[in-house]
Amino acid sequence: MTSRLAPFHTLEIRDLSVRAGGREILSGIHADIRCGEVTALIGPNGAGKTTLLLAILGLVPYAGEIRFCRAEEHGKGTPRIGYVPQRIDLDRNAPMTVLDFYALSSQRFPVFLGRSRKSRADAEAALNRGGSGHLIDRPLGKLSGGELQRVLLALALRDNPDILLLDEPVSGVDASGEELFCDFLDQIHRESRFSLLLVSHDLSVVTRHADRVICLNRSIVCQGATTEVLTPETLCAMYGSGAHLFSHGPSDGHGHLHGEKNE
Amino acid sequence: MESLLSLVYSLMDRLLPLSFAEPAFMKRALLAVLFVAPAAAAVGVPLVQFRMAFFSDAIGHSAFTGVALGVLLGIHPLLTMVAFGLFVAYAITLVKGRTGLSPDTVIGVFFSTVIALGIAIISAQKGLTRNLQAYLYGDLLAISGVEVLWMSALSLAVAVYLFLAYNRILLLGVHEEFARSLGVRGRALEISFSLVVALVVTTAIRAVGILLVTALLVVPAAAARNVARGAATAFWIAIAISLASGLAGIAASYYFDTATGATIVLFTAAFFALTALLRLARGETT
Repeated sequence: MTSRLAPFHTLEIRDLSVRAGGREILSGIHADIRCGEVTALIGPNGAGKTTLLLAILGLVPYAGEIRFCRAEEHGKGTPRIGYVPQRIDLDRNAPMTVLDFYALSSQRFPVFLGRSRKSRADAEAALNRGGSGHLIDRPLGKLSGGELQRVLLALALRDNPDILLLDEPVSGVDASGEELFCDFLDQIHRESRFSLLLVSHDLSVVTRHADRVICLNRSIVCQGATTEVLTPETLCAMYGSGAHLFSHGPSDGHGHLHGEKNE
Repeated sequence: MESLLSLVYSLMDRLLPLSFAEPAFMKRALLAVLFVAPAAAAVGVPLVQFRMAFFSDAIGHSAFTGVALGVLLGIHPLLTMVAFGLFVAYAITLVKGRTGLSPDTVIGVFFSTVIALGIAIISAQKGLTRNLQAYLYGDLLAISGVEVLWMSALSLAVAVYLFLAYNRILLLGVHEEFARSLGVRGRALEISFSLVVALVVTTAIRAVGILLVTALLVVPAAAARNVARGAATAFWIAIAISLASGLAGIAASYYFDTATGATIVLFTAAFFALTALLRLARGETT
């Protein structure tokens, strides 16, 4: 692989700013998402994390530049971006099964004429990959938070994205659901090596999974390798003095970090 | 045109040898319901998911002003009613998108403005009220052959639109940004759907009237939600309920001498009650 940039960047953000309603939500953002790495985006509520994801998706207008660069292994053309939004407020009574939901974006003819055999096969394959094949005929509105996240992730991964954007994937998910989700994410990330940009409040998830961290609060607070960035000083600067770190002790080899936000 | 209709009428005489279906005006009413009711119910399914019942009501009431404008300008009120309904639908969708205000606020503002304008026009023009009666309560039995043809064209157009856009509309209804990340063009789709709803609402007003038109869109879809788990089932149950209510409503109104539009809506309400009981019996409460 020949590249002018080392390591290869999938995404280069240069002097990005986003305004909405006469207010600057993001300004002067310079950041790189490296190829195949897991980058965590952390910051307090209202820091503009979701807005940054939406800008990358091209769903909000912005000033500055977002450049997509493709590694040779991914071929030419614009990169595919998968997206899993933050907790969705679902219509609990919507007459729609997981398979219906999947078919909405995978078949050309309308779902009221039925679902194609290919839709079902594709949905089964994608869901089984994440161990949630049993959800296929369940009503979408009746899924638990964790189940819904896995369904959304399966859909986002369907077209083998070059970049995957996850917005608070484990918020509102119980501990066992969180573990399932993280294990699944680890497994598919090892298989497909897409670049992952992960918004999370949960610092234990960040330290366990992220190669790099971007701290955001309207502008970049700091960025770099996870171990360098996640220091008590940076956390204190971002979240206030309530944030603290502690280790699980020597028996736990990698020493988890926990952050807690006190208002 | 007329020969086509008379061919349809003679066909109906063969298929429906019922006494109430004998007069030509009854045949036109039956045809109108066969075209309009399923179109309204089909559009109603995503409409309910979008929580747009209030929007549909606002468009229905804009027809009041549309008709008044037509009489004032000397244009056929049917034309001004449809045109004005489309205009209001577009304006609501545009203002909602630009200001970021909540839908019910924007609709509430338009709703009252439009009604106020209508009342202002009517109060200045004596003798307009009689003209409006047919639109307020609907007048299914007075529908002309041309209107029946217009309704058939409308239901065909709605079928084509839903065939092309249904999946994307439902996806947008689940989560806007997620749908857009999958390539759904949200704004364009929202505007086109609003316009289709406006077209269906203003057309259906001739059948059931301004006051009841939203029921024709919302109630069958709401009833279908009570019993359907999947998207396809919900769609077809809503259409079946709208057709059954339409035909039963016409027959019942003929025998009991009640207003046709209101009778049809009462049948849809009965279906809603029935499906709600079925849902309770199955023990689903949430």
